Amino acid sequence: MPETRYFNLRYYLRQQPVMLASLSVLLVIFFLFVTGLSQAYHAQRQALGTRWFNRGVADLNAQNFAAAVTEFRTALLYSRDDYQYQLNLAEALIGMKHTGEASAYLLNLWEREPEDGLVNLELARIAAQQKQTKEGVRYYHDAVYAAWSSDQEWKRRDARFELIELLLQIGDKAQAQAELIALSENVGDDPTQQERIGDLFLRAQDYDHALAAYRVSLRSDRHNEADLAGAGYAAFELGQYSPAEHYLEAAVAYDPKDTESAERLKMTNMVLHMDPFRRQISAEERSQTVIDAFTTAGQRLKACPVPKSASPLGGGSQDSLSEEWAAMKPKINETRLRGNPELVDSAMDLVFRIERQTNILCGPPTGPDMALLLIAKTQGF
Amino acid sequence: MDLQSNTETEVLEEKVPLPKQPAMPLWTRKALLRSVFREDRFFLVLSVFIGIFSGLSVVCFRFAIDWARIYLLGTGAVLSTSRLLLAPSLAGLVIAFLVIHFFPATRGSGVNQTKAALYIYNGHIPFRTAIGKFITAALAIGSGHSLGPEDPSLQIGACLASVLGRKMRLSRDRMRLIAPVGAAAGLAAAFNAPISAVLFVIEEVIGRWTAGILGSVVLSAVSSVVVMRWFLGSESLFRIPAVELKRPSELLAYAILGVVGGLASVAFSSGIATLRPWCKSLPRWTQYFQPAIAGLLIGVIAVLGFPQVMGAGYEYMDQAMHGQFTWQFLAILAGLKIIATLLSFASGTPGGMFAPTLFIGAMLGAAVGGAQHVLLPHLTGSPGTYALVGMGVLFAGFLRAPMTSVFMVLEVSGNYSIIVPVIIANTFAYVIARGLQPIAIFDLLTRQDGLDLPSMEEQREEDVLHVEDAMQPVEDPVLDGEETVDQSLQKAARAKNHQLLVRLSPSGWSIVTRQELESMSSQGKGAANLGSLLPILQVPHLHPDYPLETALRYVDRWPLVPVVSRADFRQLEGVVSERNVLARYREFGEG
Repeated sequence: MPETRYFNLRYYLRQQPVMLASLSVLLVIFFLFVTGLSQAYHAQRQALGTRWFNRGVADLNAQNFAAAVTEFRTALLYSRDDYQYQLNLAEALIGMKHTGEASAYLLNLWEREPEDGLVNLELARIAAQQKQTKEGVRYYHDAVYAAWSSDQEWKRRDARFELIELLLQIGDKAQAQAELIALSENVGDDPTQQERIGDLFLRAQDYDHALAAYRVSLRSDRHNEADLAGAGYAAFELGQYSPAEHYLEAAVAYDPKDTESAERLKMTNMVLHMDPFRRQISAEERSQTVIDAFTTAGQRLKACPVPKSASPLGGGSQDSLSEEWAAMKPKINETRLRGNPELVDSAMDLVFRIERQTNILCGPPTGPDMALLLIAKTQGF
Repeated sequence: MDLQSNTETEVLEEKVPLPKQPAMPLWTRKALLRSVFREDRFFLVLSVFIGIFSGLSVVCFRFAIDWARIYLLGTGAVLSTSRLLLAPSLAGLVIAFLVIHFFPATRGSGVNQTKAALYIYNGHIPFRTAIGKFITAALAIGSGHSLGPEDPSLQIGACLASVLGRKMRLSRDRMRLIAPVGAAAGLAAAFNAPISAVLFVIEEVIGRWTAGILGSVVLSAVSSVVVMRWFLGSESLFRIPAVELKRPSELLAYAILGVVGGLASVAFSSGIATLRPWCKSLPRWTQYFQPAIAGLLIGVIAVLGFPQVMGAGYEYMDQAMHGQFTWQFLAILAGLKIIATLLSFASGTPGGMFAPTLFIGAMLGAAVGGAQHVLLPHLTGSPGTYALVGMGVLFAGFLRAPMTSVFMVLEVSGNYSIIVPVIIANTFAYVIARGLQPIAIFDLLTRQDGLDLPSMEEQREEDVLHVEDAMQPVEDPVLDGEETVDQSLQKAARAKNHQLLVRLSPSGWSIVTRQELESMSSQGKGAANLGSLLPILQVPHLHPDYPLETALRYVDRWPLVPVVSRADFRQLEGVVSERNVLARYREFGEG
């Protein structure tokens, strides 16, 4: 009987279903064994990765980029897909100016987490560096609206500042203005930020907003020469010469080396003194101002001879302006001007036309001619 | 009870009393079991098991290689001089001892051993081969020998499959096929690329596409990849760079890469052809030291500033793809890797050639791409794309697996826009390598080992004889089944041969001899239709494009076999006889 049982057992063990079942059991045991091995393997690799990563971070903070790159690479040997390892390696590579490889890592990270602010910002910087402005603007935009692990507001603000810089570099002033307006609403009364915004508004040629930003900044520090110079510049460009004179005088007083503001102040003074339409001046003074302007325009006309046929404005030709000027010349004296406000207007109209046409034909003037041109602009000519 | 002698049906129906009464009727259960455990279906089920076992083994193999590297070479990316010199040398000594005394079948890559199992040993690979390959290859690769884990994984998979097949008592036909099934599983897990693994096994091991084996190979490859990804993740072996083809004229640059890759392949295989037999011809005692000396020389290369040549080198391929090296450095690395791999492989150290081939290809590709980028910056794209294409180029030129080389790059890169550069470069490399080195590397190794395995490359390019090559024009008149016997007899009088073909209506052919016609006529059947008097069994017909071996099935039974047009089966193109077929084969054999 035991022999029969033994043969029965052998028979069953040789049956394919039984063997498959045995194989399944063996497979489960092997699988569990490999699972255990795998856990030990991954734990060891994680520990090694962390050790090398920490060394890399220390070197990165010390700006020892070459060592940091080696250490982050070693860390990645043990955890090739670790997000932080790759991000730090990309930063170290950027530090070493290996932007090509850095962008490969960053793009990989971007695909994994497209809303990571730092990754977008670094990609934007690399794109801007490589003159890929379209991509740069896109990544900056993403960085502005992305998630940041800490100091979100500040980091978004900084990203937006960089975006505006790029937009100004590529000459997209309208977009830069839009970003600046959005930014100015977020920075509050922080004088440093307002000053920076004012500077950027100036570069974007949005003088209204620039003046407003400088004024906010000046509320905190009335003696800030940079703000004063900026405000003076903005007011000057807006044709607000009185406040411009005020700001520029203060700026030059605080910083006599600021030659640009000094030049602008000189021009402002000239504009203010050569404007016959300014308020609170005597009739005598106004007549004299008109005579001076008329003489200046005449000299400009002589210095900028233009062929007879040339008529850039489509209206009268150069010759006709000279003839007009010559015809009007005898009438331009103090006595006639004092009793005849219409003559003042006609004379100044001729002066402004002369300055505008010579500006177009011979290029921008300097000194009194420039002042007259600015006055013409202010008066709506 | 043995499946080789009994069918499974007999096994299941054996009259042994069952201890318990089945819940369902006995005949139903038997039918169900018979249906499930029919050998072809069972083979598919077994393929999944083979895939899982192979996947788990390859995972363990990867762990072993990494642990060997950590403990032998250290944990850092920058390694100490003493370890660089000592680790591969001492490991070489241990490996030589193990190979000579315990695991002699583990030398080399493992691809040919798998082929030998298929063609010589009826699928039999001893289990100790897998154990030996696992230990020695892990030690070799982990200590820095310039070899890869793919071919050993292939052999380990094949070996496990063979063991499982034996335990399951598969028939001899199935046993022969089981090694390639395991090989595909092992390679797929090592490469994380099931399509390439399947293609490689079909292209290089089995040599033909057969429906019977394809399903099993695919199942095992997919199962093993799933297991591998379960434990090691699904990421590819390297980060894939952005693939770009700047303009069509850049294809010229890829053609140049193909030419350079082809020449490098020839240099690599010529090196093996020369160095391996020389190492084998040295006195036996030197075999104890050959892997150690190879390891020491590789260590010297590493100490001289090129540690990238050690091991499989996937991390450096990754770096090459992302433009981290100058093109000059990449070219030097490609050259040194060829030398290092020659040393390791020729010394008999167990390990694979796939990874070194990919490494050399990647470095060469990136170097060619980088050089061209310097010379023609507006013409060429990133070196990363060239590195990817370069891998395929060496695969096509050195391993001579053109189909696998294309699909491998596609599978690894996951980008189909690379296909045109890959095909162009691979074609150039393959043609040049084949022109300059007619014998493929695996065939070369087979011959060096004194084996006579079929060459897959030669098989692929072998001329096949067709029926039209042996077909003769019809000289005798063709009789018509609608004619009378007397009319046919008149026609037959003009014939040279005794046998005459008869075209039957509406279709079909038959044969009649002159004597039979005369006999019919003498029996008074001269006015009867010939077709009505002929036997029902018709003569089979052939078409001109059939392989000539098809004709062999008929020519011994029928003196003449008609060859007819495919468009009109009644239109006779010619005839073949046994004599014609044999004469054609004889001419073909004589060249």
